[in-house]
Amino acid sequence: MLRAGCQLLTQSTVAAKTGSNNFALEFVRWRRKPRWLPVAKSKLFRVPERKKQSEEERTELMRLHNHYKTQLRSVRQYLREEVVRQQETSTADHIVLTPEQEEAEFQRCVEVNNAWNAKIAKEREVRLAKEREEKVAYVQERLEAGKLREEERRERANERVRYEIEQSKTFITRENLDEAIETALANPVDHNFAIDLAGNMIKGRSTQPQSN
Amino acid sequence: MSLSPASGIGRFYKHSAKIIRFVRHGCANRPFYHIVVMERRKNQHQPVIEQVGSYDPLPNATNERLVALNTERIRYWLGKGAHMSDPAAELLGIAGLLPVHPRTYMNAWRNRKAAAEAAAVEAAKPAETA
Repeated sequence: MLRAGCQLLTQSTVAAKTGSNNFALEFVRWRRKPRWLPVAKSKLFRVPERKKQSEEERTELMRLHNHYKTQLRSVRQYLREEVVRQQETSTADHIVLTPEQEEAEFQRCVEVNNAWNAKIAKEREVRLAKEREEKVAYVQERLEAGKLREEERRERANERVRYEIEQSKTFITRENLDEAIETALANPVDHNFAIDLAGNMIKGRSTQPQSN
Repeated sequence: MSLSPASGIGRFYKHSAKIIRFVRHGCANRPFYHIVVMERRKNQHQPVIEQVGSYDPLPNATNERLVALNTERIRYWLGKGAHMSDPAAELLGIAGLLPVHPRTYMNAWRNRKAAAEAAAVEAAKPAETA
């Protein structure tokens, strides 16, 4: 005997009794003896009486069952054939077309594709032309910038050359070496100095500020 | 907590025995049946392959017992060789999809006989009292 258990029972046994269907079942068996007890003494020699079936009812049922089984067999065969027919003629999961229809469909697809291609090609022309212009402008700009840079570099180099030529007038060469040595010896330079707390620089080796 | 869907999540082998039968839902003293297709060897409360109808055996306010059947799928499954439980076969016979089950005839003539006997008793009673 199956009964859906009451709330309390299902609460406690929900983990054990629920299947994957989440359907709680409770087996109510407490009204009767447990299965493992032997047959009661009072029932030990009781032979349950079989229900009597009259002969005419039995024959009638036999006849009806025979008819039923035959009819059901033919219905089943019909349904089996129907399922096969359904599977053969069904276009539920695929589409069946004649070769002409297929060709027409293909042509239509080609036309659509061509139209689309033409449209895209036009757009692409415009885009490529624009990109080409931009590229030309960019290259031109870079070329001019390069020219400018080159000019500046040349200018800087010229400046450097002029400066070096200017400097070269005071260079010590082999010719005026003796003269330079004479001049250096004649004018000794003392680089020593001291600093007082106020940060004043006191040049020379003397502890007193030079008068001159 | 949710029931498994009626569209069916039951797993089945291709060549296993399927059966169209009732699954008792409802609660104590209030039966309600789903008519389902499932593997024959399985317990009725396992997930089903497909639900093909429902059956409410208790008469409603207008004394009707409501049945819903998805005949298209029942035909499909029968054509696939699904078995039928006896109550399901009786119900489908009464619905007109299949030949009427012999047990329906048997119940009918037994009911008729019981009614006739009850009527005879009724007829005899007033005669005795009168």
